[in-house]
Amino acid sequence: MTNAAAPCQTENVTGMARSVLSEISGMLQALANNETAGSVDLRSLPLTQADRRQLEDALGRGEVAVELELAGRSSIWETRYAGVWWIRHRGAQEKVSSEEISVCRVPDILTSQPADITAAALRLQQELSQNPSIHPEASDG
Amino acid sequence: MADNNRNSQLHGKPVSRTLGEALAERGVSRRSFLKFASYTASILALPPTAATAIAEGLATARRQSVIWLSFQECTGCTESITRASSPSIEDLIFDFISLDYHHTLQNAAGDAAEHARMQAMEENKGEYLVVVDGSIPAGNNGYSTIAGMSNVEMFEETAEHAKAVIAVGTCAAFGGIPAARPNPTGAVPVSELTDKPVINISGCPPIPEAMTGTIAYLLSFAGIPELDHLGRPQAFFGEAIHDRCYRRPFYEKGMFAKSFDDQGARQGWCLYEVGCKGPVTYNACATLKWNQGVSFPIQSGHGCLGCSEPGFWDFGGFYKPLATGKDDTLKYAAGAAVAGAAIGAASAVSVRSKRKKLLEANAAPQAIKEEAE
Repeated sequence: MTNAAAPCQTENVTGMARSVLSEISGMLQALANNETAGSVDLRSLPLTQADRRQLEDALGRGEVAVELELAGRSSIWETRYAGVWWIRHRGAQEKVSSEEISVCRVPDILTSQPADITAAALRLQQELSQNPSIHPEASDG
Repeated sequence: MADNNRNSQLHGKPVSRTLGEALAERGVSRRSFLKFASYTASILALPPTAATAIAEGLATARRQSVIWLSFQECTGCTESITRASSPSIEDLIFDFISLDYHHTLQNAAGDAAEHARMQAMEENKGEYLVVVDGSIPAGNNGYSTIAGMSNVEMFEETAEHAKAVIAVGTCAAFGGIPAARPNPTGAVPVSELTDKPVINISGCPPIPEAMTGTIAYLLSFAGIPELDHLGRPQAFFGEAIHDRCYRRPFYEKGMFAKSFDDQGARQGWCLYEVGCKGPVTYNACATLKWNQGVSFPIQSGHGCLGCSEPGFWDFGGFYKPLATGKDDTLKYAAGAAVAGAAIGAASAVSVRSKRKKLLEANAAPQAIKEEAE
């Protein structure tokens, strides 16, 4: 069979980026007014690659960029519009598993989770009690 | 395979820890849950804000006992869900379930294997999930047996105290290839043999995310996702391939490939006239795609076979346009194609409304006939 990768899928700009930007604008205004967060699941939208590039270029990059190594690499950055975050999660073989634009102060996944904090506190206490060399009182010696 | 997270007893019954507790000991953080939840929300077509609820639901859920039964099948469904890849977010689902019985994957054999099935049924009575791939031969119990039991006996025994049954693949969901004319084994879908809730995840094979996403939903929300009229999760089977196909604009402009090596094919035009079944096939191939999102048949230059629909093997030919099917009403779709009329959406609706008649004409499984009535 002829592999006919359709030109329209990768090259055409459909206008979807403009629509998404309008939606984000509304969400950002809501966040500014009353702190209501919102988000757009990019994977669910029929964006062409050209649309996606257009959207990414329009939002640009801001002051914060974070890489997470978490069952696959995740890239999160604040766009040049404060409160508008681009979240790209990758899974197997670096393929994008989910991608969203989140309009919020800080994406949930960047904040330390309460259960992880509880577990970390317990772990640090155990390590201190089991290893005197890093215990503050032991080092005073 | 056996569940190893039972660490205490309560009133003589084993008590399992929550997934959050069990996985934390293995270094899986709640942040990982949140990432998995974002991925799950996306494939389930839920708003991204649902991720927090999914993560919380998963963290407080218990590891789900799953008994996987394979009957008249080719193991393609198992290959699909266990596709080879590096450990990743998609694979976390295997930490959420205890796969207590699976012919192909389990280490145990013979009596030990059957003992594992019986033990899982006893310890998780009323709570375990039964996953079935393959249709069940009802014509003669001797056509397919496992450990001396017919497929019918094994399924009925196992499903009796199950919480729900997931029919994975078109064979289990609708009879599939074994049930194609003349159906020599009297193959039936699992839904004909049980009164338990049945979730059909059709496809030959099904999209891996449709399987893992459905299980994640069951764990997160302790309920069954919204299903379509054929018992399939709406999140994955709610739209026709045609409706989300990137070649759809060519259909609407009347630009069709006439053969697989003509100029239209090279330009990526619509494959309707070379047999694409996208207008009558409901699945998420066009959005989720295959092989970690690399491509799907139409993107690779071949029409959709309609593998997630009942009776797909008897549709009348993979390379014949839908218009040449037996159902005269489908010729309306052909008319649109020949004329190049831009009636895309209306045509798809027309095709879908007449689909049941087509299925009946192709000896669709009894369950589907009853639904049509």
